[in-house]
Amino acid sequence: MSKGDLREGRVARLLVGGPPFIFLLIFFVGPSLIMILTSFRFPGEFGGLAPIAAPAASAESEHGFTPEAYQFFFSDLLYGEIFFKSFAMAAATTFICLILAYPLAVLIARSEKRFRNLLVLLVVLPFASNFLIRIYAWMIILGPESALSQFINAILGVFGIGPVTLLFSPFAVLVGMVYVHLPFMVLPLYTNLEKHDPALLNAAQDLGANGWQRFWQITWPLSLPGVFSGSALVFIPVLGMFAVPDILGGTGDILIGNLIKDQFLGTRDWPFGSALSIMLTLAVLSVAALATWLARPATGQQG
Amino acid sequence: MLFMAGCTRSDERAAIPNKDRNVLHLFNWNNYISTETIRRFEKSCDCRLSQDYYSDNEEMLAKLAAGASGYDLIVPTSNAMDTLIRQGALKPLDKSLLPNLKNIDPSYLDTPFDPGNKYSVPYAYTISLLGFNQEKIKELGLPTDTWAIIFEPRYLEKIKGRVTVLDSQRELMAAALKYLGYSINDADEKHWKEAADLIVRAKPYWAAFSNTSYIKELATGNLWVAHGYSNDMFQAALDAKKTGRSFTIGYSTPNEGAVLALDSMVLHRSGKSPDLAHQFVNFMLEGKNSADLTNLLGSGNPNTEAMQYVQPEIAANKAIFPSRESLARLEMLRDLDRKQRRLLSRLWTEIKLR
Repeated sequence: MSKGDLREGRVARLLVGGPPFIFLLIFFVGPSLIMILTSFRFPGEFGGLAPIAAPAASAESEHGFTPEAYQFFFSDLLYGEIFFKSFAMAAATTFICLILAYPLAVLIARSEKRFRNLLVLLVVLPFASNFLIRIYAWMIILGPESALSQFINAILGVFGIGPVTLLFSPFAVLVGMVYVHLPFMVLPLYTNLEKHDPALLNAAQDLGANGWQRFWQITWPLSLPGVFSGSALVFIPVLGMFAVPDILGGTGDILIGNLIKDQFLGTRDWPFGSALSIMLTLAVLSVAALATWLARPATGQQG
Repeated sequence: MLFMAGCTRSDERAAIPNKDRNVLHLFNWNNYISTETIRRFEKSCDCRLSQDYYSDNEEMLAKLAAGASGYDLIVPTSNAMDTLIRQGALKPLDKSLLPNLKNIDPSYLDTPFDPGNKYSVPYAYTISLLGFNQEKIKELGLPTDTWAIIFEPRYLEKIKGRVTVLDSQRELMAAALKYLGYSINDADEKHWKEAADLIVRAKPYWAAFSNTSYIKELATGNLWVAHGYSNDMFQAALDAKKTGRSFTIGYSTPNEGAVLALDSMVLHRSGKSPDLAHQFVNFMLEGKNSADLTNLLGSGNPNTEAMQYVQPEIAANKAIFPSRESLARLEMLRDLDRKQRRLLSRLWTEIKLR
């Protein structure tokens, strides 16, 4: 390879990689830095932020920088509790999505080639209608007058169990979360499973492995990268979701997403809202780090 | 196809000459002006009215704080207007352009939020009250003239899961504070705690916190009692009637008192057509136009000239037009300072989590 080729390669790489890099720099790193700065400011008397420099003669008595928002966060167990609750919700959603999506992904990956694209298209078809409309539809499906509610309550009535309300409950929130995020689990699993070499399974069968052994010792370990990326694609958005608990949740179903949204709208407390967002980002990053660390020895053995 | 689409568009533009430079930008509540009124105004001023919407004051303030601009007129509630005034975000009114200002009932003028009405002209008002399924409540023998029905377990156990309250820190706290005999603007932390305890005790009986969906749920019969705004209850009652339900939706203001939300028209500093804005304000102050707000949307009306156009059964509705003594028990929310906002937010988070 001549020197000219090398330079050309570098230029091409810059041209290809540059725009997305600059995009992320402007629209991810920039806002994150602004958020970090904001979290160390005082909230303005009427919302917004108090000035950094001392005001000449105005009502704003506090100015400059302060760790107050973080002190407030750690001054009460309450916020830790909400974090814990949201993580539990995200974990439950991820787990259920995985259980539901795995067989589906296997089925699609092992179906005839000409049907696969159609089946994948069907999985993403719900995206064709707006997310909020689909969530509002669940309000009708789970409502007390709906066929589903009446059917379930009729069955429960036979066993002498009082009527249950499905809507406005943690159950409804979980259903909504799973429903919205299921395709995000199916797709990475499918792309992974599709690449598996069927010869491996045949060989295992020849060597006397039963169905369970073939799954547990071959398919599952090979699909772990798909499981991890699918789980990340579900877990992280669920953590920040506020619309689903807002619409389907009852009186106790507040999650971090709702709390953060409240800080920017209802309470007009930008610094505390920013501090909450940063704590959430840190929490997510540490979970991701932990997951990578846990997954490492296993993948090391495979490779 | 493309060609034809382009063609119609230019035709439309040709049909409405001048109107593009003559646009009034209104930042208004959802569903707070009827299309008939808009059409009448557009005809009278030979201009176009363009609207953006918000569904609560905080949303409006947040959008403005984030840099939204170009609005000639906004219709905030008093406490949000107070914030806008103190931020210096508003233009003073030129009252010589507003001869119809005389139509406003003086008891709605010169409020502590804008002494002398330098910046604001009352538009309409709502009361935060109780809406209910009349037949169901009568059958269960529950009272409808007290907040007790949404706070006292002895009543709530009969309507468990059929009640919603507003998903608003200030509104719900105001109802609880009023029930306990305090002012809605009481900022004493001990009283807040008391109100929060009351709310936490009642919460297991409520179906949800709801700001808009209660309208539909009341009208379909899923809900029996809702804490909400008078104009929304008007809407729910109308919906139930129109769809021929076997029940009717009633609404009344609790005897302990409630929140009165007076919305006013104000001129934003970023507006580009102040003349048109004054023209609109004066237009909305005309009795006939103002009466639309009540007849079509169920808003309370501070305009004395409007009363002759208001349908008699609405004018007689005490939940929309409170009596003098009831009016004396209504209060307007004042804005909290930043420390109080943070504390209330924590209390609210606690309420939601328990």
